[in-house]
Amino acid sequence: MNVAFKPDETFRGDFTFRNTPEAIRRFPLPFPEDKYMYSVNIEAHRPGPLGSVVEFAIDVDEHYVAECRERALVLQEDPLRFQALPHMMSAQWDCLELIMESLARDYPQHFTLDRQGSQWAWTNRPLGIQQSFTFGDPATLPQQPLEYITRQVQGDWVVMDQREGDLWAEAGMVTTQADWSLNFDVGMSFKEWHGPVPLAHEMGVFDRALKYLLGLRLNEPVRRLNWTMTINPRLDTSPETYHRWGPDRATITPQNAGDKAHLRVELQGLWRLPRSNGIVFSVRGYLISMRELVTVPKWARRVHRVLRDLHPALVDYKGLTRYRDAVVEYLAPFDDGSPTSPGTAPE
Amino acid sequence: MSHADTIPVRVVAVEQVTPQIKHFKLAAVDGSRLPAFSGGSHIIVVMNDVGRVHRNPYSLLGVPAQLETYEIAVRRMEQSRGGSHFMHDSVSVGTTLEIAHPVNLFGLSKIGRKHILIAGGVGITPILGQMEDLHQDGVPYEIHYSVRAPEHAAFLSRLQQRAADRLKLYYDSSGHAIDFDGLLSTQPLGTHFYVCGPAGMIEVVLAKARAWGWPESHIHWEQFSAPPAGEAFDVHLAKSRVDVHVVPDQSLLESIEAAGVEVPYLCRGGVCGFCRTDVLELDGELIHNDHYLSDEERASGRVIMPCVSRARCKKLVLDL
Amino acid sequence: MLVTGIKSKPVYTPLAPDLSGRYHLMVGHGVGSEPLLRVLRDLRTAAPESGARTRVLFIGNPDEQAASGAQFRSAGAADVRLFGREDELLTDFQDVLTNSVMGTRLYVAGPESFMGLVMRSARQFNLNKDEVRAEECGPSARRVYCIHCQTATENVTTNIVQCKDCNRWLLVRDHYSSRLAAYMGVMVDAEAPGERPEVKEVFR
Repeated sequence: MNVAFKPDETFRGDFTFRNTPEAIRRFPLPFPEDKYMYSVNIEAHRPGPLGSVVEFAIDVDEHYVAECRERALVLQEDPLRFQALPHMMSAQWDCLELIMESLARDYPQHFTLDRQGSQWAWTNRPLGIQQSFTFGDPATLPQQPLEYITRQVQGDWVVMDQREGDLWAEAGMVTTQADWSLNFDVGMSFKEWHGPVPLAHEMGVFDRALKYLLGLRLNEPVRRLNWTMTINPRLDTSPETYHRWGPDRATITPQNAGDKAHLRVELQGLWRLPRSNGIVFSVRGYLISMRELVTVPKWARRVHRVLRDLHPALVDYKGLTRYRDAVVEYLAPFDDGSPTSPGTAPE
Repeated sequence: MSHADTIPVRVVAVEQVTPQIKHFKLAAVDGSRLPAFSGGSHIIVVMNDVGRVHRNPYSLLGVPAQLETYEIAVRRMEQSRGGSHFMHDSVSVGTTLEIAHPVNLFGLSKIGRKHILIAGGVGITPILGQMEDLHQDGVPYEIHYSVRAPEHAAFLSRLQQRAADRLKLYYDSSGHAIDFDGLLSTQPLGTHFYVCGPAGMIEVVLAKARAWGWPESHIHWEQFSAPPAGEAFDVHLAKSRVDVHVVPDQSLLESIEAAGVEVPYLCRGGVCGFCRTDVLELDGELIHNDHYLSDEERASGRVIMPCVSRARCKKLVLDL
Repeated sequence: MLVTGIKSKPVYTPLAPDLSGRYHLMVGHGVGSEPLLRVLRDLRTAAPESGARTRVLFIGNPDEQAASGAQFRSAGAADVRLFGREDELLTDFQDVLTNSVMGTRLYVAGPESFMGLVMRSARQFNLNKDEVRAEECGPSARRVYCIHCQTATENVTTNIVQCKDCNRWLLVRDHYSSRLAAYMGVMVDAEAPGERPEVKEVFR
């Protein structure tokens, strides 16, 4: 799919981010039915339908250049959004290889990777980057390998070490998060960093997920979807900057919900890494305003019902408390009560 | 694991490195680079023997950064179910095989402050891979390699080149044995112990480590053992509606696979837990040969690890 | 975001000897002496020969140093070191860890803030949960890490606290980082500036 990039879109200030009709139709709706509760919901990350967000291992869409610029702005203000404990260097290189290989294979019009033994040459045409370096030698790149490459890809990346029957989040680039802090969480084990998630612990969701991930195999990545809502198309909704975006939550009315309230869906991918035997977890955020969402009638009805009936603990945890009712009121006129087909296809 | 995920390879070199060990180099049939891997990893080699398929795990002993070929070493087992005999007798330069992507159940601790690697006999193979990783990281380590006699020591030149005075050799024939008590009693905090060798050596190390107060999380071991043989028995797979006859020298897992049913697995050695299968009906007794289930689980008769365990029964129905 | 009942809050259990260990290193503060004395006595009963391999590092009331020392010794500790200040203890602790060998078990008892610093040092030596036991006793005042300006505020006993550096009012969450040895503090009135819950003493 050859998309035109919109390099000047903003995710702060004047919030000029918008989805084209094509972007709307390929939006990864996370609700296959009219209600929502946690599940492990992992599936094999194999190539999906043409044009979909899972057609390729790593998705590059119309917002690519703008998101890379936004990441650079976040890092300029707060370098602690990138973390890497000293023993994670091998894993950093694994991630660099994964991302470069994926992008060059699936978007050859934009990216080229030339490998001659350990001498690599990388070209990123949308960002105007050309870099020759020695794979394995950090001195030959302008930043640490994980930081270097994640500045050129959409989504957050968390790298885990596997040891003692557990997974430890010990490196990452996290600038588009839904309210968690890498700086605070780096060094935590799987259940520790998932600590704040309500209900799921009692349901055994994390025990099962951890066990599953410990056996994750090379060449067999998996994926799942997660979701929340964001006011304004703001990617950086970190605890660090909560004072900037927190107040927006109190400004929603049924009249402005269409433009300001956004469904935020995270496409999460998990890959086993070859040299470090670690796991990398990608969290790729997609945003859609309610106004854009309701252009797909089935989705309007579905999302209205999901939000209206959501478990109170989830409303609270996902930060929807102040504006959920206003959004539901905005969506209500689009829901005539007619059935929705199972699955997420627009119809 | 699905069989579609294997990589076709061709044997590009074979060398007899000790009287019982052969060294094989494998390259991708399509000439592509093989997948990168971590030290301690193994691959499952799928061998199409006459009337039977062998799937044996072999450690990758080569330099992880060199991906034109994979290197494995196979010891000819006297009592073999056929896999090692096949590798020794039927495989030569040009033979094609299938291999699975590397799996690592014997990796180094990345936060270890010192690593003691113990190898007995052909157990040197994963240690070689780990040594390469340690060489990269520059963390202190020692290798203690015990063999029956000097002619049974394999890959000495590369061990000596990389490890130099970190390597100590022990020959049974000289009456020279590894002083495990000495090693285990004097290590700084953060040391990790890795042992790969015969079952007896591993048992001794585990017992002594416990006696010296080491927690299990700092002891890592890998054992290459064929699934124990046993009497033939029959099993019914409820979901697949298939009856399987398990012969004495084929494991339950292998028999199920031969019947066309796939079971998830990782190690095929009773350690990792991935082939854990529920028992729906049992008239008889299960013979548990694994290192994974708890005593309660074994006693319950409700679960079995088909890669190494068997049964003596009139009826056995599995949830497969 | 402002959810309570978080599972990442550390859970402490009453100390008991870990007989699978060979060397027993005990670090305590104030009323943490009680659990440590109990471990020493239980250890002496269960494994009398282990006494030679026990060591105590302790900060107590300066007036009671001699008495504390005597108590630990009579309970069976082979080596007892007493300190007046946390930083002195932590420095010596680093030395002890450098010279300790595998087979060591660490027992920590005292206020959580103190224990957090001890366990952070222990982690640097790759002592993991199999080798460390901790019992919380004494004041449960928290060290709070302001997520906005990365400053730690000590001795927090209230549900909300003003960050000593950036002055934001922070909700003291139960989400805990062992690396930072602190609980997360996040702005409590971001969504409705000035609207704060009543300040209450909750961590005593």
